[in-house]
Amino acid sequence: MRDYRLKLAKEKLIEMHRKMLEIRHFEEKVFELYGQNLVPGTIHLYAGQEAIATGVCANLRKDDYIISTHRGHGHCIAKGAKLDRIMAEILGKKTGYCKGKGGSMHIADFSVGMLGATAVVGAGIPIASGAGLSIKLRGTDQVVACFFGEGASNQGTFHEGINMAAIWALPVVFVCENNLYAMGTRQSKVMLIENIANRAVAYGILGVTADGNDVLAVYEAANEAVKRAREGKGPTLIECKTYRHKGHSRVDPAAYRPKEEVEEWLKKDPVQQFKTKLLEMKILTETEANKIEQDIIAAIEKASKFAIDSPYPTPEEALEDVYA
Amino acid sequence: MATEILMPRLSLTMKEGTVIEWFKKEGDTVEKGEPLVEVLSEKATYDVEAPASGVLRKILAPKGTDVPVAGILGIITAPDEELPEIEVAAAVPRIEVEEAVAVPERKVVERVEERFIASPAAKRLAREHDIDLTQVRGTGPEGRIVEEDVRSLIEEMKVTPRVREVIPLTGIKKTAAERVSLSARTAPQTTLTMEVDMSNAMKLHEKVQVSYTDMLVRAVAKALREHSIINSTLEDEKIKIFADINVGVAVATERGLIVPVIRNADKKTLEEIASVSKELFEKTKQGKLTKEELTGGTFTITNLGMYGVDIFTPIINPPETAILGVGRVVERPVVVDGQIMVRPLMQLSLTFDHRVVDGAPAAEFLQKIKKFLENP
Amino acid sequence: MRQITYRDALREALREEMLRDKTVFILGEDVGRYWHGAFNVTKGLAEEFGDERVRDTPISESAIVGTAAGAAITGMRPVAEIMFGDLSALAMDQIANQAAKLRYMFGGQTKVPVVIRTPFGAGVNIASHHSQSLEAWFMHVSGLKIAMPSSPHDAKGLLKTAIRDDNPVMFFEHKLLYPIEGPVPEEEYTIPFGVADVKREGEDVTVVATLYMVHKALAAAKTLSKEEIDVEVVDPRTLVPLDKGAIINSVKKTGRIVIVTEDCKTGGVSAEIAAMVAEEALDYLDAPVKRVAEPDTPIPFSPPLEQFVIPNEKSIIKAVKEIVY
Repeated sequence: MRDYRLKLAKEKLIEMHRKMLEIRHFEEKVFELYGQNLVPGTIHLYAGQEAIATGVCANLRKDDYIISTHRGHGHCIAKGAKLDRIMAEILGKKTGYCKGKGGSMHIADFSVGMLGATAVVGAGIPIASGAGLSIKLRGTDQVVACFFGEGASNQGTFHEGINMAAIWALPVVFVCENNLYAMGTRQSKVMLIENIANRAVAYGILGVTADGNDVLAVYEAANEAVKRAREGKGPTLIECKTYRHKGHSRVDPAAYRPKEEVEEWLKKDPVQQFKTKLLEMKILTETEANKIEQDIIAAIEKASKFAIDSPYPTPEEALEDVYA
Repeated sequence: MATEILMPRLSLTMKEGTVIEWFKKEGDTVEKGEPLVEVLSEKATYDVEAPASGVLRKILAPKGTDVPVAGILGIITAPDEELPEIEVAAAVPRIEVEEAVAVPERKVVERVEERFIASPAAKRLAREHDIDLTQVRGTGPEGRIVEEDVRSLIEEMKVTPRVREVIPLTGIKKTAAERVSLSARTAPQTTLTMEVDMSNAMKLHEKVQVSYTDMLVRAVAKALREHSIINSTLEDEKIKIFADINVGVAVATERGLIVPVIRNADKKTLEEIASVSKELFEKTKQGKLTKEELTGGTFTITNLGMYGVDIFTPIINPPETAILGVGRVVERPVVVDGQIMVRPLMQLSLTFDHRVVDGAPAAEFLQKIKKFLENP
Repeated sequence: MRQITYRDALREALREEMLRDKTVFILGEDVGRYWHGAFNVTKGLAEEFGDERVRDTPISESAIVGTAAGAAITGMRPVAEIMFGDLSALAMDQIANQAAKLRYMFGGQTKVPVVIRTPFGAGVNIASHHSQSLEAWFMHVSGLKIAMPSSPHDAKGLLKTAIRDDNPVMFFEHKLLYPIEGPVPEEEYTIPFGVADVKREGEDVTVVATLYMVHKALAAAKTLSKEEIDVEVVDPRTLVPLDKGAIINSVKKTGRIVIVTEDCKTGGVSAEIAAMVAEEALDYLDAPVKRVAEPDTPIPFSPPLEQFVIPNEKSIIKAVKEIVY
């Protein structure tokens, strides 16, 4: 791992490690519960990309906003939403954040600034700009982080939304999580460029790439972008290079990915890498690391139980919450 | 050579008859004069005879068909002869008649369905007021019943009596209705009445086996001989005085009013009249009257005395000129030579066609009848 | 009472709401101080409230609506303008899938108080991409409300309500209505959603009409009154929520209904209203439901062609006569 300009406090590093591990175990639990037929529909797991959500959100305050996608459990957890209520929502229970109305692809926790996940690829980008506009008009120093995949960078909304944020210098950090595949389509098939960050030039804003599996690299890139935004200097496009550990969704065995490629990326497991680093830097001991892991596993068990034991919403609730 | 079997004219006013039953099938051999098919006209049935011998090649008017007088019922040919083409062409319209007969049920159903095209508002109103939509006439497009139509009926029903039963006019009833309308429409009719002392007639009745009706027939026949203008018919602005005096006597049956005719009543004795009338009334009861017995009447007598009626205004039996209504025989006080006596009295009501005779000649005629009755 | 134009009524509503509530702001193409809006509705507002609150945008319909939605879920009350109703198609995902759905999808955690204003309507010879009436698309999207004022009075009252409503409102105006004048009170007033306006009372037939067609219906009613046919004109004013009660009450009175809209007939708004009447007031119908709408064609350019497809007084009269007998 490279050297970092930022010197972070020990607590912060451990916290980031914890967060990533939490996301990893959470996603594994969801995978397990899906196998037990407790999860309706389908799931899009964040496993392998934990460093991005963690690295970005570690720079955000509670009153900052994030907007996420169908692959959004990680962002939710990173922003501070509660595990039990996320799990309950994924299981479609009344106690979930969205009362069972949203599910895995549409989780939101407005109390921590998580403005929701949208399943329309790229649709969150102009909405994030809108949140940025709101901040500007209200005159606060809040910031918006907008997560999306490399596939979304081909949507018209990418172009329109980022352009608008650019011309109005809106406080938005656009985070492109490039995991090389949009469903089954490789990036190289749908664009001639390799670095989506280069598209920032078209809007007159700064675009940077970062190693999406190195949480400190992500942290650093996000740190600059967030600072820039908070100072009213406008948006940044950060492209994080990463990889999904699993297929696009639960039903996808991802046979379209070459075996060697998968193995190569699995060696660069972000959670594993960071843990190793912390151990090396003597910021954590094995015992402490294990304890952290056990605590997390217990917490997720608890969250899981909460979700499983929670009731489903009554059918008539389907008619509620259409209008305010 | 092919021979057509035609619908006969069974009375002066018959327009069409109905085929009741064929006694032979197509392909059967027939003999001239043999009864082939029974038809119904107005008052009675009649067996049409084969006009030639040969094979009944084609039945053009099957059971139930209405055929106009002189219409073709069927065709008889020689055994080896083909059906002439002209006849086949003529047969085509008959096929239409056949179809009309074959499909009556379906048509009726369609009609009923059609009458049910009603707007929802009309249906609701009908439901609320318990109205049968078949009773409503629709004034909307294509005869649709609209709310206004139902509303009108409701208003109307508030003032008109309700119908409990509907009896269609068919058969003899229908014919009778048509004839009676025709009579009232064409002839201006007036009725004269006269009282008759039946003392002598009663005495005769006890002595000889003749009924009052027979006496009436004879009296009327004799009177008609002397007042022949009344034994006539007005046709095409010509008064045609009949050569014969054929008196019809109206008889009420379940099927309706039947009028058997006593031919040449003026040439018969009272006994002969009695014998003929007895036979005729017997046949009437059984519905077995022949064409001759039902037609050719020149004057009609109608009696409501058995119901307690004295005077009434009978309607002329067209195309005759007059009709005599007879009331009951009842004992009444009369003044004879200044004394009050009890005598059996009977009222006569003579209705006559005012175009043919005036009141005076009609009264004279009536007086003559009275004279013949009081001195039988 | 003073007479002002439809566009002035709209502007007054915008201005008064912006004065009343600092979170209200306007965004759209050419709404600011250089053009004042394609139809001049926002004239003077940028001068008064500044370029931040009356914001010109790039030609990015999707982002206009998306940004508005994002601002709406973070405490603002944006009024977005889409220049021509036809162009709302470009923003359809943001309208139908995002703005209309966020509240429900997130279990009521947020509300989306955004107003999207746009004009529909044909009659000025600008052809297929600038003349459609597409309200039926939006009537079908759950989570939206729809207002369609036909007069200056209704325009001001409804726009105020729309801005104060915590839900996404599609606010449909009509090109030909902008210059028409009508009475508008000086005092503050709002018009609630879901309350129809009987523009003309009558006994013989109900004519439900929207937007510009209200005026055609009133003209037809005037002509028909000479033939002793008494027409009741009902203007729903909002399609969602729809004042079903007013329409049904009118049908109960007259027994006959003609629905006049400027959208294409098939699957148009009139179909929804007709179905509703058949479902809930069938027993009061004394004649079939009639619909007068545009034929299922795009709007043609040449004047005689365009005039042919727009429902007019004659076609309304014809429809009425088909069921008044």
